[in-house]
Amino acid sequence: MGLEQFKNRNVGQQEYVMLDLEHTPQSPIGKFKQVVKRTFKPELFVGLGVTMREMINALFRGQMHTIKYPFEKLPISPRYRAIHEMLRLLESGHYRCIGCGLCEKICISNCITMDTRYDENQRKEVSEYTINFGRCIFCGYCAEVCPELAIVHGQRYETASEQRASFSLFEDMLTPIDKLNLQQEYDGFGAVTPNADENIKKTPLAY
Amino acid sequence: MEVVSYRSVETFVQHIPEVTALGVWIKAIIILAVISAIAGFGTYVERKVLAFMQRRLGPMHVGPYGLLQIIADGIKLFTKEDIVPQNANKFIFMVAPVITAATAFIALAAVPVFPDFTIPEWIPVIGGTFVPSIAADLNIGILFVLGMMAAGLYGPLLAGMAQANKWGLIGAARTAVQFLSYEVVTGLSILAPIMIVGSLSFVDFNAAQAGGIANWLVWKQPVAFVLFLIAGFAETNRTPFDLLEHEAEVVSGYATEYSGMRWGMFFIGEYANMITISVIAAVVFLGGYSADGMGWLWIMLKIAFFFMLMLWVRAAWPHVRPDQLMWLCWKVLMPIAVINVVITGIVMMV
Amino acid sequence: MSEVKTVENMVSITIDGTTYQAKEGEYILNAARANDVFIPAICYLTRCSPTLACRLCLVEADGKQVYACNAKVKDGMEITVDTPNILEERRAIMEVYDVNHPLQCGVCDKSGECELQNYTLELAVDSQSYAIQDTKREVKNWSTVLHYDAALCIVCERCTTVCKDMIGDAAISTTKRGGEPLDKAYKETMPKDAYAMWNKLQKSIIAPSNGTDYTNCSDCGECTAVCPVGALTGRDFVYSSNAWELERVPATCAHCSSGCQIYYEKKHTSVFDRSEKIYRVTNEWNYVSLCGAGRYGYDFENRVESKDEAAFNAAVEAFKKAETIRFNSVITNEEALMLQTLKEKMGVKLVNPDARAFQKFLDAYAKAAGQSLYSYDFKEVMATDFVISVGASLRNDNPNARYAFNNIQKMNKGAGLYFHPVGDTLVPTFGKNVELFTHKVGLEEAALYLVLDLFADKEKLPEDVKSYLDSFKTTATKTVKEKVMKNVTETVIDEETGEEKQVTKKVPEMVEKEVTVEKNALVEMLGKESDAFDATFEKMMKKKESFSMIVGEDLYFHDRYENIAKLIALIEQTTPIRVAMIPPKTNSLGVALICDLDDEATGYTVGYNENGNFRLSALGNGDLDMPAMNQQEGTLTNMHKRVTPTNAALEYNGYELNDLMKVLVGAPDLTVDWTEKLPVSKGFKTAKFDDLPNGYLNDGTENRGYALENLSCEAEAINVEKIGENSVLEGEIVYRCNPQRQFNDFTDKAHEIFEGFGLYASPAKAEALGKKVEIDFGDRSITVDVIEDDRMEGDITALADFKSEADVYSLFGPSRYRKVTIRKV
Repeated sequence: MGLEQFKNRNVGQQEYVMLDLEHTPQSPIGKFKQVVKRTFKPELFVGLGVTMREMINALFRGQMHTIKYPFEKLPISPRYRAIHEMLRLLESGHYRCIGCGLCEKICISNCITMDTRYDENQRKEVSEYTINFGRCIFCGYCAEVCPELAIVHGQRYETASEQRASFSLFEDMLTPIDKLNLQQEYDGFGAVTPNADENIKKTPLAY
Repeated sequence: MEVVSYRSVETFVQHIPEVTALGVWIKAIIILAVISAIAGFGTYVERKVLAFMQRRLGPMHVGPYGLLQIIADGIKLFTKEDIVPQNANKFIFMVAPVITAATAFIALAAVPVFPDFTIPEWIPVIGGTFVPSIAADLNIGILFVLGMMAAGLYGPLLAGMAQANKWGLIGAARTAVQFLSYEVVTGLSILAPIMIVGSLSFVDFNAAQAGGIANWLVWKQPVAFVLFLIAGFAETNRTPFDLLEHEAEVVSGYATEYSGMRWGMFFIGEYANMITISVIAAVVFLGGYSADGMGWLWIMLKIAFFFMLMLWVRAAWPHVRPDQLMWLCWKVLMPIAVINVVITGIVMMV
Repeated sequence: MSEVKTVENMVSITIDGTTYQAKEGEYILNAARANDVFIPAICYLTRCSPTLACRLCLVEADGKQVYACNAKVKDGMEITVDTPNILEERRAIMEVYDVNHPLQCGVCDKSGECELQNYTLELAVDSQSYAIQDTKREVKNWSTVLHYDAALCIVCERCTTVCKDMIGDAAISTTKRGGEPLDKAYKETMPKDAYAMWNKLQKSIIAPSNGTDYTNCSDCGECTAVCPVGALTGRDFVYSSNAWELERVPATCAHCSSGCQIYYEKKHTSVFDRSEKIYRVTNEWNYVSLCGAGRYGYDFENRVESKDEAAFNAAVEAFKKAETIRFNSVITNEEALMLQTLKEKMGVKLVNPDARAFQKFLDAYAKAAGQSLYSYDFKEVMATDFVISVGASLRNDNPNARYAFNNIQKMNKGAGLYFHPVGDTLVPTFGKNVELFTHKVGLEEAALYLVLDLFADKEKLPEDVKSYLDSFKTTATKTVKEKVMKNVTETVIDEETGEEKQVTKKVPEMVEKEVTVEKNALVEMLGKESDAFDATFEKMMKKKESFSMIVGEDLYFHDRYENIAKLIALIEQTTPIRVAMIPPKTNSLGVALICDLDDEATGYTVGYNENGNFRLSALGNGDLDMPAMNQQEGTLTNMHKRVTPTNAALEYNGYELNDLMKVLVGAPDLTVDWTEKLPVSKGFKTAKFDDLPNGYLNDGTENRGYALENLSCEAEAINVEKIGENSVLEGEIVYRCNPQRQFNDFTDKAHEIFEGFGLYASPAKAEALGKKVEIDFGDRSITVDVIEDDRMEGDITALADFKSEADVYSLFGPSRYRKVTIRKV
């Protein structure tokens, strides 16, 4: 679609409901009729009734909408992309990150950096991992590309702090080892789809 | 507390103890203290009621259910810097809020607020003093109250003109237009009940409606009641007529440049006026207070009803435009009020 | 030289309907690559022999399925790259490669540049049809630099091929894996080639060929370069970075005169240290092979935070009062030109022993040969099939010369003669037609005379030379004949019992040759049996068409270098042999061409990476810091007579030589502005630095910088002298020679190069010498550690010269061999 067409496109034409509004009366008698009509139509009291009904609903029927925010929080969508978390393996407690560097590569704001090394167990070890939250745009690509579901977006959306750097180190994002049982699996970007099994072909095994 | 019963004007006169100067002072202090507190509490109630009507909680954090919010607000208002703009007329700027508050409280002097009582003997110095229900029981009570409320116009007017601010000036102009216009409607609408009762004293009004709900003037003068209520909203600068400080149009109108306690005094004045209007409406149209056992509660409920109505309306209804306001006043309300007076006169003559 | 090699006959072939030109005798795969046609192949290496391990390059040529890496083009050949059957084979092959190959690409160093990944995707392998039980394969460190993860290995044998065919170490080979046999059912169901390939794959794995867990090799790391998967990696690089993070800076290796094309691959040091660091060096391994110094000696940069103005001013003062500038050849052409400019404008002396020796030798050669430079570059050498090496310690002096020597044996079915006083156990293993002459020190002339005798067209030889050569010939009738006669009689009788089988077999030949057999005293002089050599030489010469000779540093530092240079010119005139020279150090050729060098340093001396009263240093230990080779732009003249550009990989914040030039005599803005000023009279071109390319084309054409022009000059008549008997040294002899991966202070600074400074000796000699010795040169002495080199033979020991601090050059003076007294310490 060209720019011109884009500008002139009909947005949701079908969904408009045309109201049959009266025209403002011009003659004095017409105006008088309108005043009388409006005066004796109980529209103003309908308004009062609505507000009173809402108050009663709120007070006695538990329909109060207020969430006392710092003490209560609304559950947020699993697809919400808040501050990153690094997850651990539930069985061993070892962090899941294998240091493949895909998040670092895909990051469009270039805010992820990591150092890896060859460790004593002949494995790739992530020695340092940082996200510069001053640059992160929370696009979620890192979580989506992660093959191990290691880096995910958490639910912690309160990111105001004196120093952005204080969020950014590996240890800050890693599930504390004593809270491993509270670790939530992530359902957002990059998570295994519910029908994943249907989409893969099984590799034959010789044993 | 001794409860004095007022069966009629006669018994009232017979039983009335001597009103001493000390009693009036005490009453004045009580009015000032209690009405100020109620005005403050009114802000809390208003915020709460509005919140509930929008299914919110309103203030919740200061004290249980946010009850101490008014104290927090008070502390805030008292401790805020008192800013006087450079180009303002400083004296008038500083005096204007005082006028608003003062006229509101002076008006209350002629309004029966709380029943009378005698201070117990065991309290030193002031023991045994009789405190009347009305600080100044004038026989032209209604006229005095209306007059004082009209004089309250000077508060916003001077404030708006003195602060060297265009929003303030527009606010002041609107003040003059709105208050003066609706003064006419208030006066004319209450003229009909006055004609029926034949007195300007609240006590006489109270006595005239004694004997049950059927005797209330609202049944005899429904049009006057409605007109008075509408005009009352306008006089107290309440929604839907709060054009003086309509923030969407004129920032904060006459109060634009005010801060701290000076701004607070406008607020107190407004709430005091709301109480005054509520009391007048209750006494003039809804039978006033009864000397019977729970009479004081009834008058409280009536006042509370009108106060509540103001909040309720604010939650439900939108503003009107200034031109609609004037149109309503001069083309609708004022003619109706005049016609009402005429019809009342004709009915009385017949 | 023969016509066949130079003028290649072009043939036309058709690939997938398009007609291309190809060299006759070329493999289909190379012809396709040269014409930018893609044929999948994993196991083939351009300059090595086909291994037929992967079988991916299967194509249809004239209706028959052939392997493109193994089948030669014919005129009018019609080739189809993809037929349904071939596609099925290829897919099956890739599926087989993916059987039991770990899928944890995330933790593989090769991920992103892995050929297995690429071909799996290219051939769209999205499911697996085959399975077999895996064998436990362990990760091993083969040496100080080699890391082998057998689990990732697909046994394409590129590593073993390159090690054997190019490097010459043959340090790794395939061995038994001990895996499960394939399911018989597969033989029926699988495509044929895929099954055969899998059958072989399942049986083999790579291991050091000496049977231990550790390779005995020169640690060049070329196997890690050619590995298509993550199986072979540099130990230091393992898991330190992903391939895609590294920025490649094309450069020229500055360690030796090979001037190989390399890429410095760099990125930030760590999360916290954002300054850049070189993580590894890679190369275009199809066209150039690196040595261990080039691959692992990359972190020699001189980190300088800021400009030290005080030191700079001191340097300016030092230059103003300097009489001599001492430097070595690890500098760019531009810097050499700057120093030459200083000489011209300020009258300082330029002292550079290695380049000076080479310069004198080149001048002598030029006068005799009538051309300013030697004839062949090492790529041309590699194309010949008979190679002679004189005066070069092939293993240590120059890896490219060694690779060429080896490659000729392996790829061209070639032969080689190696003349050197220091015995070597590696060179004979290059091929069965390699003859080693471990001659006495100083007899290089004899070697050259022998070459003349063996190869020269006698008609062209001057009379005196001819008669001199004849004077060595004697007909040694007695001994030979007697032996032969006896053998004849004995063999007839004792055929079954005879221990002298060799003799018996040769009997008829010997009888025929009886008349013509001569004894050549030259051969005897060089330490070989004359008659035995004659026989081998005859075998060596079979089917040989092109000849080359490599000459090395020993000759430049020979006290009779002028005569030697003349002999070489004579060899070129009278034989089909063409000569390539190994410049002693990185840019010795460039310096020798650009600078007027002086012999002796006098007075106040400024040293550039060398000792002096004031020292400029790119090593960080001088009075004023200079950028190291990986921190500066410029050009180097390598032994292929090519001027190649190198680039700055790392940041340098200090002063450089050009800044000094600006103050002293005035200079253009940038160092590389000097590139176009290089002397045209010496064969350089007026090319701008930024216009110089640095890469290879698909057909292997070296597209790097430009080639020096070999200018012809007036040739003098060649009057060669007889062999100088006086230059023969005997007794305890020390040879100035670096260990395999050390060339200069910069390689020494690199953390992955472990060869130490010391006296290298053969195992027997090392045992005799003990751990530490004092070497007495007469006027001075030096105390060093003794280091065993199990590839050396004989009593001559080698003292490394890569440490400029030790000033080994001045210890040796104008010679590379010195008679010394060695005392145990």
